[in-house]
Amino acid sequence: MKLDYMLRETTSNLGRNITIGIASVMTVAVSLALVGASLMLRSGVENATKRWQGGIEFVVFMKPDATPDQLALMQSALEDSPSIASFKYVDKDGAYKEFIELFSDTPEFADNVKASDLPTSYRVEPFDKSADAVESLAAQFGGGAGVLKTATASTTIRLIQSLSSRLTVGIFIIAAFLLGAALLLIFNTIRMAVFSRRREIEVMKLVGATNWFIRVPFMLEGLIQGLIGAIIAIGALAAIKPFFQDWLPSSNEIPLVSGFRVDTPETILIFVLMGIGGVVIGAIGAGVAVSRFLDV
Amino acid sequence: MITLENVTKTYRNSTVALRDANVEIAKGEFVFLVGASGSGKSTFIRLLNKEESPESGRIFVAGKEIGTLSGWKVPFLRRNIGCIFQDFKLLPNKTVFENVAFALEVIGQPRAVISSQVPAILELVGLKEKSENFPNELSGGEQQRVSVARAFVNRPLILLADEPTGNLDPATAVGIMKLLDRINRTGTTVVMATHDRGIVDSMRRRVIELDKGQIVRDQARGVYE
Repeated sequence: MKLDYMLRETTSNLGRNITIGIASVMTVAVSLALVGASLMLRSGVENATKRWQGGIEFVVFMKPDATPDQLALMQSALEDSPSIASFKYVDKDGAYKEFIELFSDTPEFADNVKASDLPTSYRVEPFDKSADAVESLAAQFGGGAGVLKTATASTTIRLIQSLSSRLTVGIFIIAAFLLGAALLLIFNTIRMAVFSRRREIEVMKLVGATNWFIRVPFMLEGLIQGLIGAIIAIGALAAIKPFFQDWLPSSNEIPLVSGFRVDTPETILIFVLMGIGGVVIGAIGAGVAVSRFLDV
Repeated sequence: MITLENVTKTYRNSTVALRDANVEIAKGEFVFLVGASGSGKSTFIRLLNKEESPESGRIFVAGKEIGTLSGWKVPFLRRNIGCIFQDFKLLPNKTVFENVAFALEVIGQPRAVISSQVPAILELVGLKEKSENFPNELSGGEQQRVSVARAFVNRPLILLADEPTGNLDPATAVGIMKLLDRINRTGTTVVMATHDRGIVDSMRRRVIELDKGQIVRDQARGVYE
């Protein structure tokens, strides 16, 4: 196959239906930007409320110098309590790992802390998750020997968690509709490109051009539209991200919560997913259009 | 070169386009297909380059059974078959040169082959001076010459022509027939469907007459009726 022919055909096709092409690129961009933004929001909330996931309602921090006996006592008290659904023990190494993650944006903080300085803790999930029940349970276990302090998930955290999960669902639904629209728009662009070139395609078939030779320029066109849309969406999110991180409340403003930040590796992962999403949408839309209307 | 064994083709509205046809065409033959409109001439042609598939019977082209040919091999069959049509099927936004070059380009021929073959074939059909013109700047006869050039530039084994002179005046038609005759003399098998009594009678080549899908006459050095 001749690469220069393919590229020439693809670029001239892209220029031919420029308005519809731009429409599909923009729809891909908007929908992927929404998907990316909601993924970033989710990841930000997850980072901020790391301690409070999986139904954990309160944490019993043990003194760093608590004796094994005291730990065993607390363990059996939690096991025996009829109000406790489940609990998890986080040892010094686990606490250190979490600490490093929480303060990954301020490494000088992490450097001054050793695993042995940190308290071990029990992450507890009670059956009754109403605020009153949680508070009284926390108070009950807070009096045990060797306990440093207890912390309960505040209403703020619950609010943030439920708000963000609802927002994520809402945004995903909107984005799904928009992605569907983008798919149909690309499908339509390619169908029109196929239609406007039906005479050439007829001649190509008659003189013995292979099916893939006819197909590839159209599929490349759809793929490029999807890719351009994804690049625009990624650029927009990258530009907006620092502004949002300044605007969102930091750990100083809401206690028990670390900052709403999205780490660089997470951001890169989200951007890569968006790029793949754009390419897949473009290729699927074009592929379906080509096989339905080319009849090669 | 071409063999039809008990070939029957019926269209969906149950029109019988070809019924139990048995034909053997040798390499280098020149064959006229004659008959009224709807007698099955075009179907005969379309079966040979697998634009249609037979309902029953077997078709051999260049030694290969094409009834069972899988879809992806069809393009390679067609590279051995040139086609000419009544309505030329030229691309209006390409020049004469580009129209002919297109046929080589889309089967992946390198640029060097294109730049040597295309001028040579345009010389053969007598259109070297018009290679930069667009189809709408040419007469009907000249346009058909371009389409002959495009069909033959790849040196196919077989040339199929479906009423190639149908849109041309008699004098111009004679010019096209001379060209087809010349191509036939290079060893290319030519199968031509036509209504043109004058041409068939003057060429005195093999004539296959179809009537309502049946071969009613197969005559060497025949005439139209």
